Amino acid sequence: MTKIGETIWERLFLLCAIASVVVTVLIFGFMVVLGLPLFKGGHFFYLLTQPWLPSRHAYGIYPMIVGTMFIASLAVAIAFPLSLGCASLISVIAPRPFSRFLRRVVHLMTGVPTVIYGFVGVFLLVPLMRDLFQRGSGMCILSAALMLAVLISPTMILFFADSFEHVPRPYLDAVDALGGRPVQKFIYVMIPCAWRGILTGCILGIGRALGDTLVALMIAGNAIQVPSSPLDSARVLTAHIALVIAADYDSLEFKSIFACGVVLYIFTTIVVLAVRSLGASGRRQEP
Amino acid sequence: MDRAIKIQVDHLNFSYRGNRVLRDVSARFEENTITAIVGPSGIGKSTFLMTLNRLWETMPHATMKGEVRINLDGRFSNIYDHSYPLAELRRTVGMVFQVPNPLPMSIFKNVAFPLKLAGFCDKPAVAEKVEEALRRAYLWEEVRDRLTDHAMQLSGGQQQRLCIARALILEPQILLLDEPTSSLDATAAAVIEELLVNLKKRCTILVVSHYLAQVQRIADRVLELADGILVPSLLNL
Amino acid sequence: MNRQVERWMIGVAWLSGIVLLGTVFSIIGYLFYKGAATLTPSLIFGETQPMDALLLRRQVFDGLFPAMVGTFSLVVLSVGWAIPVGLATGIYLAEYSGKTMKRTLNLFFDILAGIPSIVVGLFGFSLAVFLHKHFSERIYPCLLISSLSLAFLVLPYIIRTTQVSLDSLPPVTRLTALALGATRLQNIFYVLIPKSLSGILSGVILAIGRCAEDTAVIMLTGVVATAGVPKSLLSNYEALPFYIYYTSSQYANPQELMTGYGASIILLTICAVLFLLAFAAKRGLTYHALYRA
Repeated sequence: MTKIGETIWERLFLLCAIASVVVTVLIFGFMVVLGLPLFKGGHFFYLLTQPWLPSRHAYGIYPMIVGTMFIASLAVAIAFPLSLGCASLISVIAPRPFSRFLRRVVHLMTGVPTVIYGFVGVFLLVPLMRDLFQRGSGMCILSAALMLAVLISPTMILFFADSFEHVPRPYLDAVDALGGRPVQKFIYVMIPCAWRGILTGCILGIGRALGDTLVALMIAGNAIQVPSSPLDSARVLTAHIALVIAADYDSLEFKSIFACGVVLYIFTTIVVLAVRSLGASGRRQEP
Repeated sequence: MDRAIKIQVDHLNFSYRGNRVLRDVSARFEENTITAIVGPSGIGKSTFLMTLNRLWETMPHATMKGEVRINLDGRFSNIYDHSYPLAELRRTVGMVFQVPNPLPMSIFKNVAFPLKLAGFCDKPAVAEKVEEALRRAYLWEEVRDRLTDHAMQLSGGQQQRLCIARALILEPQILLLDEPTSSLDATAAAVIEELLVNLKKRCTILVVSHYLAQVQRIADRVLELADGILVPSLLNL
Repeated sequence: MNRQVERWMIGVAWLSGIVLLGTVFSIIGYLFYKGAATLTPSLIFGETQPMDALLLRRQVFDGLFPAMVGTFSLVVLSVGWAIPVGLATGIYLAEYSGKTMKRTLNLFFDILAGIPSIVVGLFGFSLAVFLHKHFSERIYPCLLISSLSLAFLVLPYIIRTTQVSLDSLPPVTRLTALALGATRLQNIFYVLIPKSLSGILSGVILAIGRCAEDTAVIMLTGVVATAGVPKSLLSNYEALPFYIYYTSSQYANPQELMTGYGASIILLTICAVLFLLAFAAKRGLTYHALYRA
């Protein structure tokens, strides 16, 4: 192959790389540009903190932002102990055959589509919640958070288990030689060593919870209100986009979904940056 | 000198991934002596040590046959008996590794760690025991003013003495050392040799070593591991 | 006091394991319990004969066949867009880019990977509107737009797995062909890519799975509840995940609801099979490569 041929291919590869970057930036760009009418005149921050009152032409997405944060944090709060417990089982506490089995099941769980979680949630979980709390339709923040927790747990579990595997061998040998039991090894050495991985796993979980659409759309109720209790119905940013897309394209109401898009993009970018900085500081600490 | 037998090994066979590492090894180790185990690299000396505190059980693909008995309070107990608790065994038989492995915590916490594992909480008593262990490991004078410093700040030789102190705090009756000075310089090694000689009045010591001069300096008895068999060494003592 | 904490930790660990396993098996068990009865050919083909449907001679009106064809077309198209670009980008990252370039590019792709799927869908929708206004009146949200959007969604997967597979090749492998006089490009095509094939393949299969299961993107870019088998790239289409979502809120009678369960089982099975294939590819090809080399 000639030198020119080589260069052409190299340029081609570079072109694809640049195209991929362009797509990333373009996505943000489109959101901003198309939401411009709402952003004009410094309205953006106004938009973020105002309630949704169509009658007054106020399309503030504040209720959706609160809804998103409420459901995402509740989901992670539920998923964290669950995931840490399962990860501890997989790493040290359970006997080898069971730990292998659990890991395989968790791995398989990562392949389950979210629409299935939503579907089962609607027909299995929601009636259960309805009967349990005797309030409303059962479609509330708590139901969505529970299902979301099951959705994000496998990723968190695998991430935690991976971090525990990276604890340096000499430390584990030391604890073994001193007569430490597996659970002691876990609490006193593995958790302190792997705290960065644990934190990263949580942040990744938050990212996934923020970005999911179907579970909240199908189970959280979608009422546009600022929720005050886990048993309230709420709407999240992602579900809002899905619901309003059918509205009249030129209306201000429609433009609000681009504001949601911008907010979501910014949130997940923050998550990515946080994970990166944790990874980088971890690398700096290594000898 | 007529001493009691502390460790009794009978017909020990050890295989790793199908390869026979130890063949029908039998040996007797006397109380309060230092026995050195020498032999070529990779032959299984560390493995032999690990059969005495069952640490090899954390390795997958390893199998063992044979008996190891330890004399505790006048009676011989089979350490592989299911009724003998593993944690208990490892407190009676301490181990020091070739490369020092202090845990990522302060000096004090490192030495006190075994007490924490054993559920021993009484703070003043813990502090006393830590000092005692550090003295026996010839480290107290050097660290008494910086017990809260991170263990990684110590030099290699100091870290190894820290690991010895940590192994000593539960007052084990047997101490296993796997090439304890091979990662240290001559001066640091000399300190550890001296402390081992002083230690033998309190416990029975087995040392794996490459350094024949060291072995001649400190050992009461030398065994050589060759072809999977343990034999009295031809070294002149 | 320590003992208490330790005992408590063991309790929490086992409780978590039981809860997780219980939940998973309940979900799957519930689906099969409710939907197993519907798993008959008529679930997929309705009143039409299977052969007629498969050969597209007749339309299927009340079966999942159009949705399955829709999902299939979607997957083929999306992966078709994504593989060349993703592969090329991954190659560039692993073989040509300098350190800073690599870190910057990776930052962008991490961000791309983190974007919620609905936002990608929104972008696809906006793209459709943009093209409609400035290029051709005929462009609406359709199969083409959906597949492009899905391609954007799975692009980071393919980039990342390609890059990681290439990067984790031992240094010796890289040098072998070069020492024999191969050019950089020849090295890539004749040695490095074949050796990383298992990793790349598993990434592709995961991307396929992602395309098959996604609902949010297609909801905004052209999927509808009834459209029959997709007629062209610019037409509307049906898809399995959307059918499940739609049925859950719009079912008219218990029978329709049952088809929802049946569809869920089918989708779950497809994803499980793809997942296992990815796993096997990662393992199997490595084995094969090692033993042939």
